[in-house]
Amino acid sequence: MQNLNSSIIRNPTILPRFSQLLSRDSSRDALRIMCILTFLLLVLPMNLQAQDTPDYFRQQCMNCHTIGGGKLTGPDLKDVTGRKDREWLVNFMMNPKSVIDSGDPYAAKLLEDAGGKTIMPLAYGMTKERAGKLLDLIEAESKLEKSQFKGLKISSEPFTPADISKGRDIFLGLSSLESKGTACISCHSMYDINALGGGRLGPDLTHVYERLKGRKSLSAWLVSPGTATMQPIFKNHPLQPKEIHSLVAYFEESANHNEKNKSGGLVAFFLAGLIGSTGLFFLLDYIWRRRFREVRKSVVEGASR
Amino acid sequence: MGSYFDQILFIALPYVSLFTFFLMTIYRYRAESFSYSSLSSQFLENKQHFWTVVPFHYGILAVTLGHVIAFCIPRTILVWNSHPLRLYILEISALSCGLLTLIGLVGIVWRRLTYPKVRGITSPTDWIIYVMLVLQVLSGVGIALFHPWGSSWFASNMTPYLWSVFTLDPNIGYVAAMPWLVKFHIILAFLTVGFFPFTRLVHILVIPNPYLWRKNQVVRWNRNPK
Repeated sequence: MQNLNSSIIRNPTILPRFSQLLSRDSSRDALRIMCILTFLLLVLPMNLQAQDTPDYFRQQCMNCHTIGGGKLTGPDLKDVTGRKDREWLVNFMMNPKSVIDSGDPYAAKLLEDAGGKTIMPLAYGMTKERAGKLLDLIEAESKLEKSQFKGLKISSEPFTPADISKGRDIFLGLSSLESKGTACISCHSMYDINALGGGRLGPDLTHVYERLKGRKSLSAWLVSPGTATMQPIFKNHPLQPKEIHSLVAYFEESANHNEKNKSGGLVAFFLAGLIGSTGLFFLLDYIWRRRFREVRKSVVEGASR
Repeated sequence: MGSYFDQILFIALPYVSLFTFFLMTIYRYRAESFSYSSLSSQFLENKQHFWTVVPFHYGILAVTLGHVIAFCIPRTILVWNSHPLRLYILEISALSCGLLTLIGLVGIVWRRLTYPKVRGITSPTDWIIYVMLVLQVLSGVGIALFHPWGSSWFASNMTPYLWSVFTLDPNIGYVAAMPWLVKFHIILAFLTVGFFPFTRLVHILVIPNPYLWRKNQVVRWNRNPK
């Protein structure tokens, strides 16, 4: 046993012996397979998940634009190809921020119309080819009397205190979403969430009602949330009109509040974790409280002398 | 360009890592069964051993188990988290275990650095895996602190991504827009899986694995050390 231990200690790494073994035929084959697989995975063209253009428009564009349904956060895209040439539009779709930054007057006007703060994000997977196909789609849909992208009819019923309360419950997860989507608190916070606060993967939504330009735009946005993080979740678990109504009621109400979130946030969370881990240290010490007694103690003392 | 790197890191890397993991663990077990060990250094230094190794192991087991549970039953996690108090309890417990792991792991590395005998039996591979683990645990704790609440968004975003990888239909839409710290954590996890067969971590695979429930065992010399 001692010899075995000593020999392992002398050769603590197995890598040198691996390299010797790699001279064997079987291991050469294994290495060859690995190299081929790696090569194939890295070099073979890997297209993004195939997605047709209407689907892409629905997921990436409809949260801010309609075709013939009026302005939301972004402009109504009906006949957009008549207002600006295709080359400019494709370039803008592929690099919205850099076109705005370049001082282009038309892009500056678009930004101003959107409130001066909301810059069109670069849609995930946007390519020159995809931008061209989107413009073809917009052109075709613009000719129709009623485009499928005219947008949903947003409820205009006045908000009630019950709507606000329901919206808060949906935000916190206390009221579950009909299509089993994830509660907003997972990633977002609000002014009135105390204790440890809401999530911080996404932004605080206290003033989202103002940021997204009111009821119509915000409701349209929630029909098909546009950020790349939210999109895959809500694509398969869309919010229902009633849920959107309640959430928008809550967001409208929260927009009137300027007080800061009173939750303990990061510091309280870290301290709670630290207290928890200290408790676990004590627990481990308690479980193994006999570790230094009896035979072991004398052995350890003997070895330390 | 961004999406090209995403494809390399979140589609190619997982498969290369998993393939390497399965091929090389089997190969190493067949070629060098006796190297399936973590080579205990308890008999070389025993004062810090308990306070580093034990917290690290129980911490990392709890945290890993949490990831596995969220991977297997995400709906149950989301239902549990549907009340803020329960969400906070789960997150604080996870952070406590994460900090326990981090403190234990930093202690392990410190012990390896400061005790010449223990440093002497630490191979280059060991150092590499220690650096990887420290970065992995550090980024995990960082994610818990700076991008809460991970237990919920793991269940809604990471679980579908991981399932898409395992069902050979990878969908990087779930991870593409994640903060860089989360991406770093995922990439390093796959790199660790790929590097696993070449390291002391293979002791995890020794079946039956008695480490967690066996009686205390003292590793010591059978003669007086000089």
